[in-house]
Amino acid sequence: MTDSPPVSMEEQRRLDLHALFNTLAPNVYFQPPTNVQMRYPCIVYQRDYRNIQFAGNLPYRSTKRYQVTIIDQDPDSAIPDRVAALPMCAFQRFFAADNLNHDIYSLYF
Amino acid sequence: MKLLWDQVGDRTYETGVDRGVLYIPSNGIYNRGVAWNGLTGVDEKPTGAEATPQYADNIKYLNLISAEAYEATISAFTYPDEFAQFDGVAEPVPGVRVGQQTRKAFGYSYRTLKGNDVDGTDLGYLIHLIYGAQAAPSEKNYQTVNDTPAAIEFSWDVTTSPVDGGSLNGTTFKPTASITIDSTDVSADDLANFESIIYGSEGTDARLPLPGEVYSLFAGTALQVVVPTQPTFADNTITIPATAGVVYSIGGVAQDAGDVPITENTGVSASPASGYKFADNADTYWLYDYSA
Repeated sequence: MTDSPPVSMEEQRRLDLHALFNTLAPNVYFQPPTNVQMRYPCIVYQRDYRNIQFAGNLPYRSTKRYQVTIIDQDPDSAIPDRVAALPMCAFQRFFAADNLNHDIYSLYF
Repeated sequence: MKLLWDQVGDRTYETGVDRGVLYIPSNGIYNRGVAWNGLTGVDEKPTGAEATPQYADNIKYLNLISAEAYEATISAFTYPDEFAQFDGVAEPVPGVRVGQQTRKAFGYSYRTLKGNDVDGTDLGYLIHLIYGAQAAPSEKNYQTVNDTPAAIEFSWDVTTSPVDGGSLNGTTFKPTASITIDSTDVSADDLANFESIIYGSEGTDARLPLPGEVYSLFAGTALQVVVPTQPTFADNTITIPATAGVVYSIGGVAQDAGDVPITENTGVSASPASGYKFADNADTYWLYDYSA
């Protein structure tokens, strides 16, 4: 039996976000490959941007931004409201396609 | 010789700021330095040197120039704990901070980069030394966390009181609050020695040498090597020895030679005086246990 490689702080932070999303929706996917059969309702999120502030000629602090898409057949789904209540979260846009409602947010975490 | 512009290697510029250090003075000696993290900018704003024209015989007879002063604004995401005392904050009990207290003077240094079209910012750097600085109260704009993360950037307006400008080779300089060292114009050995003083080294605290010592460091004047003598201790009394070239401090306060009674466990640190340096691996800190 081999030990699994240690989880970096950055990766642990992303796993913490995944765990948080799991409390908000029954299905959560991080940058799913195209061959994944998704189940709804779900939260799909992906890396989007990194906010960096500089000091002493170096990056001093940075925060990753994720694009978070909530996909639900229910147009009155409560999941987008739960996501919108997270700190540093902003609504981007909404669209419906294939009878699925898509709410897209950007979230710094 | 014909003048030429913008030749290869001549397109120099300055950029960046880093390696901020706060120096805490004791009896006029800046004998302890602490790193200043999160430095984002130093805006130098010298004042004075204003012309007052004088007229005589229906002509402009002369210009009187007023004295010049160094002022600046320091910007940073944070500041060392030791800076609080210079920002009008006292700490009567650890963790409890009282504002609107007396603002003390401090020293600081920072580094800016020099670059050109060939070496980029590897060309060299400037080390700026500031003496007799006093920080004015400044705004701290705390705001709600919103949809974009941002750390608060603090800033302090700094005025200065010049210190003795020192002298070299018979030339005495006017009192000054700022000195700049250009790494491209001084010897690498002198610079390394200088940096070991202002940034500290193994077993030796960082300190800010006064102008006269800075000149001697770069003028080839060798520093005298000294080994600090350990203070003696008996009956809860530390006896500070009189060792030429050594400044002994307790809690950052320089001590004269003689007896110092203690009422708690007390550490004594030694730092080299102007014109001196410590021998390698010399002991510079001693801790004495108080016995009730």
